[in-house]
Amino acid sequence: MGTKPLPMSPAPLTVEQAEAMSQRRIKKHHVAIMLLHWFNAFVWLFELATGAALIASPYFRLMPYWYIDMMESLFGSRANMLQFHIAVGVTWIIVFLVYGIFGFRTYLAKQIFEKEIALDRDDINWLIIRALRILKKSDEPLPPQSSYNAGQKLFAVLVYAMIPIIMITGLIMAFHLFGTAVVGWAVVLHFVAVGLVVSGLIIHVYMGAVFPEEKAAFFSMLTGMVSELYAYRHHFKWWKEVKMQEEAWIQKLQGSSGSTGVAPPISDPGPVAPPAAPEISEEKHGPPWTFKRIFRAPEYWPPYVAGAGLGLTLLATFVLMGQGLGASGGFTRYLVAVIAWVAPNYAAHSAYWSNYIQPGHSPLIAFLVFEMFGVVIGGFVSGWLAGRIRIAVDKGPRISRRTRYALALGGGVLTGYGARLARGCTSGLALSGGAVLSVGAWIFMLAVFAAAFGGAWFMRRYWL
Amino acid sequence: MSAPYFPTFSLATYLAVAVLLGFFFGFFLERAGFSSAHKLVAEFYFKDFSVLKVMFSAIVVAMLGIAYFSLVGWLDMSQVFVPPTYIWPQLVGGLLLGAGFIVGGY
Repeated sequence: MGTKPLPMSPAPLTVEQAEAMSQRRIKKHHVAIMLLHWFNAFVWLFELATGAALIASPYFRLMPYWYIDMMESLFGSRANMLQFHIAVGVTWIIVFLVYGIFGFRTYLAKQIFEKEIALDRDDINWLIIRALRILKKSDEPLPPQSSYNAGQKLFAVLVYAMIPIIMITGLIMAFHLFGTAVVGWAVVLHFVAVGLVVSGLIIHVYMGAVFPEEKAAFFSMLTGMVSELYAYRHHFKWWKEVKMQEEAWIQKLQGSSGSTGVAPPISDPGPVAPPAAPEISEEKHGPPWTFKRIFRAPEYWPPYVAGAGLGLTLLATFVLMGQGLGASGGFTRYLVAVIAWVAPNYAAHSAYWSNYIQPGHSPLIAFLVFEMFGVVIGGFVSGWLAGRIRIAVDKGPRISRRTRYALALGGGVLTGYGARLARGCTSGLALSGGAVLSVGAWIFMLAVFAAAFGGAWFMRRYWL
Repeated sequence: MSAPYFPTFSLATYLAVAVLLGFFFGFFLERAGFSSAHKLVAEFYFKDFSVLKVMFSAIVVAMLGIAYFSLVGWLDMSQVFVPPTYIWPQLVGGLLLGAGFIVGGY
């Protein structure tokens, strides 16, 4: 191999090297770990908020009465809140068990035992030197760290020791296992274990969300990636591991014939001029989750992200309005308004149209009508932000505009008639009814997909 | 007080909430690419599975939320409109709408 051996400790970098390393991104977290992290974060948020309000005994009470009252009225009653606390807790236990059992080798053995809690000699030294440096008693450099530094590992040890205690005592309390005495002890242990985790959690959240040097660690929990420069400076031993793997790969790809013209990856910077280029920011590209990147990029959102947003909107609609979202019902009401205006007598006596007409009420004062205004505005804003607004005829390459107009009209007639016959369209029936498990909605949805997939073959000339 | 909340809304609030919910509905539909007939129709030629992915992830998210909220007693399901089932009209209507979808593109 043409590469020089990897350095033993982080040597100062030249400006060019630091620049190059800040451009390269390496993978730190698997998406399953990120999901688990944020799931865990939300569980802690909910459990701490409700748990603190559940401790209402005058001997133990932590929170002021207004907080306890507020949480109780938010949930309707103490019993509801307790039920919520238990339901979230049980969900948490199940998810962790699933990860622990099905991912035993990947997550429990490799991730947790090898990476997150194994403190080695460097880590102990790191803790001592860090403490001395904070006290201004030492200016020794910190020993190199693996993918998690000693502080993170200490927190992990605490968390992984307490989590089983919290889970088991929680189950004992929730289901009154093993008699009153055991439940009494479980209460105390539950509080103590949670209290210990919270004391670490304060530092964890501060470091992640506030501390400027660890910004990259925070974003790595969203994207899974860190810049190579960050890895080199903060997690040197891990950087070396990644490099060694990379080199092993390169060697494998080049076969046994040895080095060819491939440029070596970052190797020992060797003796270089000291000024260590601190002015180069570790995150060259800045955080990836800026307003501009999310809303102004011309690409569509990943379907699951847009789908989750749509699902939350639909959920909010059910919670606020007691019904789902829709579209064709709104158009029906526009038509009813026109008919009732042109031929009021006919409209009032028609079996169908009269459903929408009540004396003294306009058929236009309705949820779906106003929701449709919102749809137009929302769609426009989204398209405008992304720069997708333009006037165009969206057609297949082999047909004329005129054909496309005719097809659009014919398709529209079929769609409109079908939607009214089924009492809903893809939004009002398939999506909204599907979410509340209406049988008819699922029949309708299957029929829509069956006809569209079947019809696609006949229409291929017009679209492809 | 438990959801749904619409009986407590004044008419103006009711309509304003409708516009707001519609805004997000339209916004996420556009974000998913559903303003393009081409992208929608690509589903049926097995080229782009966005329609299925978006629709089913939305259904699953809303369904889990509804189930959970009604389980903990926050959402009163007897106040929520569940579309009634009419098998034949909904089967035939669905087939017509599906045919219209592939012909018209939306």
